[in-house]
Amino acid sequence: MTLNLCVLTPNRIVWDSEVKEIILSTNSGQIGVLPNHAPIATAVDIGILRIRLNDQWLTMALMGGFARIGNNEITVLVNDAEKGSDIDPQEAQQTLEIAEANLRKAEGRRQIIEANLALRRARARVEAINGIS
Amino acid sequence: MAMAALRREGRRFAAPLISPQPIRSSLIAEEQAPLGVRSISTQVVRNRMKSVKNIQKITKAMKMVAASKLRAIQTRAENSRGLWQPFTALLGDAPSVDVKKNVIVTISSDKGLCGGINSTSVKISKAMHKLTAGPEKETKYVILGEKAKAQLIRDSKKDIELSITELQKNPLNYTQVSVLADDILKNVEYDALRIIFNKFHSVVSFLPTMSTVLSPEVVEREAESGGKLGDLDSYEIEGGETKGEILQNLAEFQFSCVLFNAVLENACSEQGARMSAMDSSSRNAGEMLDRLTLTYNRTRQASITTELIEIISGASALEG
Repeated sequence: MTLNLCVLTPNRIVWDSEVKEIILSTNSGQIGVLPNHAPIATAVDIGILRIRLNDQWLTMALMGGFARIGNNEITVLVNDAEKGSDIDPQEAQQTLEIAEANLRKAEGRRQIIEANLALRRARARVEAINGIS
Repeated sequence: MAMAALRREGRRFAAPLISPQPIRSSLIAEEQAPLGVRSISTQVVRNRMKSVKNIQKITKAMKMVAASKLRAIQTRAENSRGLWQPFTALLGDAPSVDVKKNVIVTISSDKGLCGGINSTSVKISKAMHKLTAGPEKETKYVILGEKAKAQLIRDSKKDIELSITELQKNPLNYTQVSVLADDILKNVEYDALRIIFNKFHSVVSFLPTMSTVLSPEVVEREAESGGKLGDLDSYEIEGGETKGEILQNLAEFQFSCVLFNAVLENACSEQGARMSAMDSSSRNAGEMLDRLTLTYNRTRQASITTELIEIISGASALEG
């Protein structure tokens, strides 16, 4: 009994295959999903998604969206998603530093909120790389 | 034959030498020359041929441009199709839900020469408007695209809430459309949003389609009353403070995904329709060119024959 996971973004399908288990981070914490989970519809926060295939964990950075868990079918719809293996560590680190600098410079509520979001996105990407190792 | 006729009549043969058919297409040319002289000059026909040939070249080029744009945008449209299917699976697509406030979002193109797709969209929007009109109900339009705006502004000006043009200046991407969706949601009160666009099935078939997005309150109401949306209740909603908040976020996300897909599909349909319109236009120009060439040749031969007759009659008059 395996779960079927589909990760979709507006531009393309990022992942579509069977997995053994996933760990999803939502607004109210992280939830782990095993086969035969109860049906849930939940909001997904900016963070990482861990996928287990046969004792191997894979990380993906998600930029917020929704997830629907039905009878052994998981559909995750996010604004953007990147596999950990596709992210360049150097570039992600640089983006993180730039985002932190922007946050310190930001003025006005709107800029602060935007800078915060950018920072969380950059952090999620860095975590995705570190998660593999 | 000409000599015998000359001896019988004693005057020039001009118009009767040209057979009746080309007269139809060169009727305009005849007006420009005074009566009594050779009625159609080859110059006039040649000018017409040149302009028709230019038109043919232009339409052929437009067709190729449209074909290449179509190829580029088609893959993106197909990728975005998978996005709204989970929403339909979860929330159901309920076009027949009766609501008080309807908002019709009509998607059309900015440029013309794309066949009849814009007129069909406008026709369906107007039909929807009539269908959802009634006591205590109001229907408003949100228009994307110059062509629908031009058509709808004529008779439904007071019902237009918001109109947005020049969508395709920058290549379409999700962030732009989600900002647009946000804009619409903020400015318009709605119970149900109906998006009307042309769905791209293949290069020759585009069907006008309508997608419905219900507002969160209506979704709750329908979920409790059962039916397709009743399945929603069986899902536990997590990840936020209240169920209502999640449903609102979900509805907004659904709207922006569906709008993104609709805009892409409409752009594909526009390019496909333009391709076929330009193709038939080049073909018509080719046919017209053929007819004009026949006229030109006949005119040329007629003038040569007339010159010959003059020379010969002049020579025979000299001889006595």
